[in-house]
Amino acid sequence: MGSALLLVPRRFFRMPQRAQAFVAQVDDYQRDIADAITRSIRELGVSPEELKGKRILLKPNLVETASGAPHINTHPLVIRGAVEAFLKLGASMVVVAEGPGHRRDTLAVFEESGLADVLTEDRIPFHDLNYLTGYELPNAGRQSRLKTLTFPALFQEIDWIVSMAKMKTHHWAGATLSMKNLFGVMPGIYYGWPKNVLHQVGIDNSILDINATLKPHFAIVDGIVGMEGDGPIMGDPKKAGVLVMGRNLAAVDATCCRIMGIDPYQVSYLERADNWLGPIAGTSIEQRGETIATVRTNFNLIDTIPAHRGLRLV
Amino acid sequence: MSLNGSLGSELTRRALPGGGYTDRPHGLFRSDATAWGILTARALGLSLEDIDTNCGRLVLEQGQDGRVRISPHYPECYWPTALAILAWQGSPSNQAAQSLAIRFLLNTTGIHFAKKSESPSGHDTALKGWPWIENTHSWVEPTATCVMALRMAGYGEHNRVHEAVRMLLDRQLPHGGWNAGNTIVFGHELHPMAEGTGSALASLAGVVAEGQVVRSLDYLQGEVDRLRTPISLGWSLIGLAAWGRWPATGPALVERCLSNQSRYGSYDTSSLCLLALGGFAGDPKTYSPFFQRLNLNPASTIVSS
Repeated sequence: MGSALLLVPRRFFRMPQRAQAFVAQVDDYQRDIADAITRSIRELGVSPEELKGKRILLKPNLVETASGAPHINTHPLVIRGAVEAFLKLGASMVVVAEGPGHRRDTLAVFEESGLADVLTEDRIPFHDLNYLTGYELPNAGRQSRLKTLTFPALFQEIDWIVSMAKMKTHHWAGATLSMKNLFGVMPGIYYGWPKNVLHQVGIDNSILDINATLKPHFAIVDGIVGMEGDGPIMGDPKKAGVLVMGRNLAAVDATCCRIMGIDPYQVSYLERADNWLGPIAGTSIEQRGETIATVRTNFNLIDTIPAHRGLRLV
Repeated sequence: MSLNGSLGSELTRRALPGGGYTDRPHGLFRSDATAWGILTARALGLSLEDIDTNCGRLVLEQGQDGRVRISPHYPECYWPTALAILAWQGSPSNQAAQSLAIRFLLNTTGIHFAKKSESPSGHDTALKGWPWIENTHSWVEPTATCVMALRMAGYGEHNRVHEAVRMLLDRQLPHGGWNAGNTIVFGHELHPMAEGTGSALASLAGVVAEGQVVRSLDYLQGEVDRLRTPISLGWSLIGLAAWGRWPATGPALVERCLSNQSRYGSYDTSSLCLLALGGFAGDPKTYSPFFQRLNLNPASTIVSS
């Protein structure tokens, strides 16, 4: 009896949680993205008092750049839309910050992705998280052997952290969305390039530890054009035509998975996050905006990649 | 800001009264910034007394086993050790610290393992170089800086350096260039990056035949004119100079990169110094002792691009 209980996933012993996720249909990057994000934030019940005077940090997914592959990174116009939305809703300050794991030259990705043009024009500050002196927090997730996690000191001056991920398949983690995107907040000076400390203690463990410890406040996933196949870098562009948003990152990522035709219970870190960091069951997530059925488009999965096997949502 | 004009005063502004350099203007002491600052101060011909003070400050960041840490609270982050060896080179009062640091590097590796037949990775995971952080895999840039440091300190024939050279060649992308250190994953060749390519080329100059890296040289030469940021441009200019391919456009590229601070904000000290050293690599009057010690003569081999 005792050993049989050990085989039952932990999520079955947790109290059910509930969350909302909003799916906004946005056909291309020339649409009024700021308006779509503003309306979504309001629909999700974020009150003006919650954002008034707040300092917001937007964390995009800037990985690396390659000719003809803008779908690697969160699109600059989505970031511009989020900046405008949060300022319009009362935030006192919005900054954008990233610490890429693949490239030591963060400014090169900032420049070549087109984000530098947008933020310079809008006079929005950008911070390179890889070189900022850090501060330590006890590892609240305790999934890996890391006793503490070191975050950029800048975060101590921020009220809201918003994960602005790209909707992509991932050849190690299955899918990379708002939770996995937070690898990029860990400074390279403490975690390396790539952030191999996090790989050595387990990618899934690290995703859970970072999210449990940092407790991010909001997620916006750029699925207008995402990536399928051999993501997060070498995959093909895949138009899903959506932005997915919400306060709870696990619920947002589970919703993204369903849009991508992926079963979130087959993505290990999401299954482990269920009813701990947030709900991933379809019945526990109040879907606002578009229904999943109307926007679902299966992202290509590759049989030879072990992390992709068995992911398809039936 | 210009390389030969205001760079020296900018560096002085970032110097701390007790020695060492801050990571950025009005920032905090950092060992990597201090090592790069010392190398740049030497190239600029700044006061030897100040350089000695800064070298001494760097010694305070050294652990008992010889590692030089990003800060004492993070002993596992020992990647500045190679930079410290470079900074201490030729400084008699820091010879003991340098020897200890060399011994540390020679006795330290990252995590390595025999490659399994079903591995999705293209590179040889058993070949040892050096990691950024303790108990992680070896990667290109830390291995390149360790090779440079050990060669400069007279350990070029050590087995660890020979193996690291093999490791770097193994991590070279089939179509040329290096990135952080992954070549092929799940059958796809990954993208090269200027900073990885520049640092690897600098470390391999004089050790391997040009034919072994010619695709990487061609890649970098094709890239350099479009680079606008200090880490990529600095390493690229150093790497090209090491092979006699410092571009004729170099001064303009450095100038443009310096002026881009109006766009990006002030560069952190390490990046600024790396850019400066890349710029000095092409100037016969000011080129850095950093290159002299590698027995390179970049100024005589400038090519048109």
